[in-house]
Amino acid sequence: MKKTNIKKNKNIQTAVIKNKTNMDKYLLGFGLSLVVTNLLNAVILVVKEVSSPVMNVMKAALGHHWTTHGVFLLFVFVILGVVFSINEVGEKWDSLKMMYYIIGSVIISVVIITVFFLPYLIA
Amino acid sequence: MLNQGFMMSHVLFGVLGILCAVALFMDVLNAGEKNYQRIKMLSLAVAVLIVISFLIGGYWYVTYYGAERDIIKAGAWPWAHNFFMEVKEHIFFAMLLLGIYLPIAVYKNTPLTNKKNKNLVLAICAMIILLGLFMEGAGGIISKGVTIGLRG
Repeated sequence: MKKTNIKKNKNIQTAVIKNKTNMDKYLLGFGLSLVVTNLLNAVILVVKEVSSPVMNVMKAALGHHWTTHGVFLLFVFVILGVVFSINEVGEKWDSLKMMYYIIGSVIISVVIITVFFLPYLIA
Repeated sequence: MLNQGFMMSHVLFGVLGILCAVALFMDVLNAGEKNYQRIKMLSLAVAVLIVISFLIGGYWYVTYYGAERDIIKAGAWPWAHNFFMEVKEHIFFAMLLLGIYLPIAVYKNTPLTNKKNKNLVLAICAMIILLGLFMEGAGGIISKGVTIGLRG
């Protein structure tokens, strides 16, 4: 009787843990990192194009602003991916929610980049 | 000649990456135990091909593109650089990151027979394919911009 109760409690505990996050920690961590980095890509673009000092710093850092931009994004993607994977992100996540976040971040990023350069196409 | 070689390899690896993403999309639609190994291989192939295309394209862009940019901007299609190249070079980062995340989504997102898990991988593949096709189209317009610029 006692053994059955212990088994039941273990099953309940496992179910609770599984419900807390339904995703693998790396899938979740790097997925969130992908979302943040995608948005950061568009933000960096706007900032460097608007601000000459930022553009000059990026050119000076690795010889070309685009190289600095890419290396910085890859660096942030890896670092954030590791940080988000190690630290438990307390919300309930599943693949579907991650999919919506990733699609959203890509759409927002693409729209910002396209709209930013649109005046050059119209001109 | 080296300039053209780098450019053609960049396009070649990019197209192969897109084709592998299409194959992966179809395989994931019919995911099962039988094709899981192939799905894993294809996800790695997409990542590797996109990274190679990015590295070659990036090297070409930084080393050779300056002269061609000046030709485009002096020609009748300056927007081939001012819009299409600028958008292409920055949207490529999104495609690169999606490509790197794809194997993680395949290897750590099991079972792929689960609808939610499957949809995540399908969505990533679809975005890589769509962004990749835009890259190819934009690349064509940029090349045409150079041709038109040379005509004067």
